[in-house]
Amino acid sequence: MLSEAGPALTAQRAGRTRPARRVLPWVEGTALVVALVVPFALGERTDLVTLATNVAILSLLAISFDLCWGLSGIMSFGQALFFGVAGYVIALVGRDLAFSQLWAMLPLAMLVGLALAGLFAAFLLLGRKAPTTIFVALGTLTGSYAAERLVSGWQYVGAGNGLSSVKLLQLGTYEFVEGTAFYFLALIVLVLVYLGARFLKQSQLGLVLAGMRQNEERLAFFGYRVQLFKALVFSLAGMVAGLGGALYSYHQGFIGPGNMGPGLSTTAVIYCLFGGSGTLIGPVLGTVAVEVLTYVLADIDAIKRIWPVILGLVLLAVVMFQPKGFLGLLVSDRERIGSYGRRRPGGS
Amino acid sequence: MSIEVKLAFDVLAFISVMVLIVLGLGIIASMMGIFNFAHGEFVLLGAYTVYLFESFGLSAWAGIVAAPVVLALIGLVLERLVIRRFYAAPIIAMLGTYAIGLVIREIVRGLLGGHYKSISEPIAGVITVFGVDFSAWRTVIVLTTVTIVAGTWLFLARTSVGLQVRGSLENPNLARACGISTTTLYAWTFAFGAALAGLAGALIVPLYQLSADIGTRFLVQAFLSVMLGGVGTFEGPVLGAAAVGGMAAGLPWLVIPVLADPLVFVIALIIVKLRPQGFITQGRL
Repeated sequence: MLSEAGPALTAQRAGRTRPARRVLPWVEGTALVVALVVPFALGERTDLVTLATNVAILSLLAISFDLCWGLSGIMSFGQALFFGVAGYVIALVGRDLAFSQLWAMLPLAMLVGLALAGLFAAFLLLGRKAPTTIFVALGTLTGSYAAERLVSGWQYVGAGNGLSSVKLLQLGTYEFVEGTAFYFLALIVLVLVYLGARFLKQSQLGLVLAGMRQNEERLAFFGYRVQLFKALVFSLAGMVAGLGGALYSYHQGFIGPGNMGPGLSTTAVIYCLFGGSGTLIGPVLGTVAVEVLTYVLADIDAIKRIWPVILGLVLLAVVMFQPKGFLGLLVSDRERIGSYGRRRPGGS
Repeated sequence: MSIEVKLAFDVLAFISVMVLIVLGLGIIASMMGIFNFAHGEFVLLGAYTVYLFESFGLSAWAGIVAAPVVLALIGLVLERLVIRRFYAAPIIAMLGTYAIGLVIREIVRGLLGGHYKSISEPIAGVITVFGVDFSAWRTVIVLTTVTIVAGTWLFLARTSVGLQVRGSLENPNLARACGISTTTLYAWTFAFGAALAGLAGALIVPLYQLSADIGTRFLVQAFLSVMLGGVGTFEGPVLGAAAVGGMAAGLPWLVIPVLADPLVFVIALIIVKLRPQGFITQGRL
């Protein structure tokens, strides 16, 4: 299936004649331009550059969740697990081996995320009987929760205090400290991951995933090994989360049990649902909206205290009335779900 | 000798707490197929009711009696406004109930001001039987749990309303065709589940300090209990809660505590993976 993705995609590019206006590329383009301009516009406000970097890193987590839920319909309440574990591994390598070269550590983080998510996928998704969605959702939640509890009692990894003063990320002798350089590093990673996820979504594999979301049984009758596809995407999502976790660990200089628990996992869910799941750019915008609002409102005491309540109410409203997220207001269903393969004349 | 008895009693008391919490969750999950993420917050609200009664100088007993009533009302309102939109979509229901839970938890956190409040046991002291001391309040919890489980079972198995509930569970369409209003039944089932959670919260709050996270600490274990026992049965979740509760209370004596805690989850998850239909498949509710 994967090998067919390439040629089919080129065919799509060549034969594309589209009458309808497309909104998503505009949203994506605007977001990219804004992201490129932001550090220069902020200039002196280093705290805001730090915030922007944080948003870019958390966007990776949001994309990771969107790969699971928006693309392949796996409700994962445990994306933070891969985020946190990769962050811990990075911090431990920095502490015990005094090594933090970018060219080795980011691939290592990806590998950790990929392997761990692969193990989880093998356990939760594969097997003689197809698992229920509830089992997968609760399984990921449990994994995340159990890992948080394990780490918060384990002295070697700092127990409840987590690992602080993580060794700075290095490229050669250059050290990435908080600031514009780190922002652009995070942005480059984010853009690469985004392009990869976008390619995945529009490839033939993405088409299979869209079919699975619609009617899993029918796809299975066509001969697709549905669970295998899910496991593949889940592993890739874990890889993305691991990358995010490593960057987070380096950027904050800290990683703690809370960074792998259900708290952060569900925050990823919130990012994604706010923005609009399945659009990839939606979760990124959701992250921006939630994090920036949280930062701004933290200065206002009256709102700061009820902010989590507002967040919960908005989430409830989104789930009940606007399941497509806020991006769903702008983007048509057809575009949200995507277009795949060759467009037939007269057909859709 | 007395150490073993005490240990067994501690395990039994914790199992009772788990059963109390899981019973409501299991009934809602069986009936509507909804895994209620706000269940932990219902437990919290039950505990908070007792705290409110105490802080107004009323008897804690009145709070314990009032908690299920208050939670039943809250459950009814929530079911009418929100939950009934989710019956067809279990995953969306998870997200929706999570959002409800988040709202409740953060409101209570704001009201408590982030502090821990300790509630004294309404019956303090110990009961001495054959020279072994048992905590009086834990004994009350064990006895209440047994009463509640037996009462719920009798209600479901012996009354005509219970028959309607079982019928709607078995085949909702046929139940509707027979003139049973499943929407009303679902509303009351949800209220009943919420009431059980409220009672659980009211009873356990003297054992654990009241904080906004009192309910969430049991939530994952409670979900696993329901999965372990089998959704759609009455005995299943109770047995599952007994298994998970027994493991959670007993394992720290066998392996180092750091490992015991996550190990409970791992073991439970593996059992669910190997036996996804749960312990009980015969004689569905």
